[in-house]
Amino acid sequence: MANSLPSLAIPGQRLGPAGDFSAGPGTHVHHSHIYASIAGPVFVDPTQQNATEKSIISVSRTQRIKSASTSAFVPSTLPTTALKSKPKYNTLPAVDSVVLARVTRVQKRQAAVSILVVLDEPSSTLGLNPSQPASDNDNIDSILSSAANPENHSSSDELRFQALIRKEDVRAVEKDRVVLDEMFRVGDIVRGTVISLGDQSFYYITTARNDLGVVMARSEAGNMMFPVSWKEMRDPVTGAAEQRKVARPF
Amino acid sequence: MTAQRQASSASQIPHLSPAELSYLYTSLSLPGTPIRPDGRSPTQFRPLSAETDILPGTNGSARVGFADGTQAIVGVKAEVERTVLGVQALSQAEQQEYAEGNEGADGGAGAKQGSTSGQGSWVQMCIEIPGFRDDDALPVFLSEMMREPLVESVSGGEKDGDGDEGGMVGGLKGRLVINRRWHWRLYIDVLLLSQPLSYPLPLLSLTTHLALLATKLPKLKSKGEEDPFFDDDWNAAEYLYPRVRTTRASIPGSIHKVRPPVTLLVISVAENIVFDPSREEIAVADTVLAISITYDTGSNCLKLLSIRTVDPPSRLTQPSVPNSENVATLGSTAAAEASAIINPSTGEEEVSGVWRPRRGGVKRATIARMVKMVLEKGGVGEEVLDGLEGVEVG
Amino acid sequence: MTDRRRINGPSGGTRPPVFASSIKSTTTATERPQRQRQPNELRKIFLKTGLIPSASGSSYLEFEHSASLSAARALPKSLIPPSSSLKLACTVHGPKPLPRSATFSPNLVLTTHVKYAPFAARKRKGHIRDASERDLGVHLETALRGVIVAERWPKSGLDITITILEAEDDRWWGDAPDSHDAAWGMMNVLAGCITAASAAIADARIDCLDLVAGGVAAVVVDESVDGGEPSTPRLMLDTDPAEHRSLLSACVVAYMPARDEITELWLKGDNSKASVGTDDKSLSYETLIDGAVDAARGAHSVLAEAVRESAERLAGLETGYST
Repeated sequence: MANSLPSLAIPGQRLGPAGDFSAGPGTHVHHSHIYASIAGPVFVDPTQQNATEKSIISVSRTQRIKSASTSAFVPSTLPTTALKSKPKYNTLPAVDSVVLARVTRVQKRQAAVSILVVLDEPSSTLGLNPSQPASDNDNIDSILSSAANPENHSSSDELRFQALIRKEDVRAVEKDRVVLDEMFRVGDIVRGTVISLGDQSFYYITTARNDLGVVMARSEAGNMMFPVSWKEMRDPVTGAAEQRKVARPF
Repeated sequence: MTAQRQASSASQIPHLSPAELSYLYTSLSLPGTPIRPDGRSPTQFRPLSAETDILPGTNGSARVGFADGTQAIVGVKAEVERTVLGVQALSQAEQQEYAEGNEGADGGAGAKQGSTSGQGSWVQMCIEIPGFRDDDALPVFLSEMMREPLVESVSGGEKDGDGDEGGMVGGLKGRLVINRRWHWRLYIDVLLLSQPLSYPLPLLSLTTHLALLATKLPKLKSKGEEDPFFDDDWNAAEYLYPRVRTTRASIPGSIHKVRPPVTLLVISVAENIVFDPSREEIAVADTVLAISITYDTGSNCLKLLSIRTVDPPSRLTQPSVPNSENVATLGSTAAAEASAIINPSTGEEEVSGVWRPRRGGVKRATIARMVKMVLEKGGVGEEVLDGLEGVEVG
Repeated sequence: MTDRRRINGPSGGTRPPVFASSIKSTTTATERPQRQRQPNELRKIFLKTGLIPSASGSSYLEFEHSASLSAARALPKSLIPPSSSLKLACTVHGPKPLPRSATFSPNLVLTTHVKYAPFAARKRKGHIRDASERDLGVHLETALRGVIVAERWPKSGLDITITILEAEDDRWWGDAPDSHDAAWGMMNVLAGCITAASAAIADARIDCLDLVAGGVAAVVVDESVDGGEPSTPRLMLDTDPAEHRSLLSACVVAYMPARDEITELWLKGDNSKASVGTDDKSLSYETLIDGAVDAARGAHSVLAEAVRESAERLAGLETGYST
């Protein structure tokens, strides 16, 4: 059945009857047929184990590596070097998606962050595997350099999605003893998951999981710190320890 | 600011819940007999009160008020202005003189043409709506939408109106020409007195129509290419849109041979077509069309001058969540899933009672049906124009 | 309102000079360009996506020169070009966060911005958008909003900016601004804007129902070849207003071929006197709309190729690395 599908679709192209497939990302249903809604390669997820499930047609925004049997169009093994030159594309933060964000303001009840990267697979596989930011649409170097001088990027923050980490969303235990100053500092890079689209201006993010929290931070002396425990990071030059809500580094 | 920009081309998105939108849509899309929130029939207009010649300082004016309290005032002012021949026309005239000098023949046609045809830029329209800046999209779009048919209805009296009493050679533009060097400039200023409660197009169009009907220009005393001077007796002034004595008994007094266009707002909801929609109705419309019509001088039937689509606000509404996807009611919804049907007009899969923002466009057949309902003999367009004729003018 | 941030040119607009030599030779340089195409033949369209790397999507569109323009280029007889052909660039920025002051929107908020370059038309345009440019922006927004699947992009905005580098003429430059003075060229510009914006949106990978294409048709009256009586009105697709003595009415549509639906219709003019294609005069507008739809179908084939190219570029990039 997959053979009748085009390998590459353009918006408005009919992909298949809605009775045989179910519509995945990048497609829409019209008059009981599935149509592509973006331009890109077509993937078909094979039928699941139980026979009632229909296979899912989706049109991909990128050529991201899917599970091995997806499509003959792209070889399923890509050298990791290819990741560097990923074409940029758009991903919005959605509920459950894992994001990297930079802390812009720390207040008593909440910390404001601006979202730098959305890891587009909301499933846990990618979130647990931080070494593979599969949808990195931002140059990692620029994140690092601008993290050092947080005063310097006010204009680019206008173009990023803003989010809040409320005091009670910082960690799962001892929520009422959280002091935000001891959890985040301005300029830290935080990994979190989106819990709500929030209001008109902010998303809401939580770091209440072991693998979530600060992933990169600089000490007061300005050196990159390494994590030593779930709530402490240390400056390799001065040896000074600072308190953070640290993400499990592996 | 952005909220306003969102509301730019259509009226404001009303604050209706998805459930309310769905209810409205369902009742408006009932096959054959839509039920409108205010109980009107599909082609019925809202009651309005109108009067003309209310402002002594203008050449013509009108006021129209809807029952919901929204009112519009239109004032028409005319100024005499020297016709600035564009460099283009000038060079053409020179060309012709040149050509006449050289070849001595066929010069006259162009010059004669220059004397009878006016320019669209002589009609200026400005719309002021409270809560909107002058350069916001809504006033700009509305004024272009209403000015367009006004200056466009040129071929109306052109061929067969010649010599005929009450005809208008060259349409409104031609009427503005005094002689080759002078012309009238017409300023049409439209004032909406309160924040619009619905898309203000019908109100503004009707008011402008009446104001133009009531507009008088002083009687010209000079002849030919002289500098113009006018009779200062206002009673001798001539109507901008000339009138003839009626032969029909139904309408007293005089009628207009040529009439300014009127722009109607028409929406389609599923298979139904509804005229003069209120704000709530427009919020669930699949298509919104602004259709401009006027009487054809020769054949006494209606003719189409322009169509524009208006962005239906239904595209910006919030969707509702069907029970089958609602976390709060999960488990009690086995029946709901079976009721998904396909909406015949949009082709989207829909669960009844669940609102989806409209998307997609309009079929050609639907447009044709909408235009036909406006244009057909005894249709809505005639009814509106005849109704306006009944308003006491002058 | 004057623009004080930039150094402005003369306010009155500029025009190419007219030289006596060109006036004298009325038979050659000042001849109205003639349409060489068949009534249902479109001009060739050049459309390319992804030319502006900093934007999330972009496209460039250009119409083929009319035959008279190419002839004038090859063998100049006058400094005044006989006609112009549309050139425009479109960029799409976003989806990006809405400004702080904006209210919550469950859908993608579309903003369109159409601007003529000051040098785009024969008469110079100012830097501040005038009424016709705003009007075009609203038309374009209407055309695109019906196509975009807006609910997939909550809380975000999409900015579409079109710069028109060369506009279509509203009439032949030698004609006096008379009854033929309506902004007919604007309709061609709008059709081009729709097609280009559609390509740029597809290039930005924003969910669309279909590729929407713009098309123009018009009912024209031409001087017959021997200069006598005007010919009977005829329906022409993709009209260049400079090539015709008079346009009775014109229509532009934004059309989605896969669904056979129109998202934007703009028809103006008075063709009640002309019976085109059908005997019933009151139905001639339908013929006109059908003509515009046919023109849009033609533009769609170009558009589909350009978007396919954009998709292949993305796919090609990847397969290139994997080998």
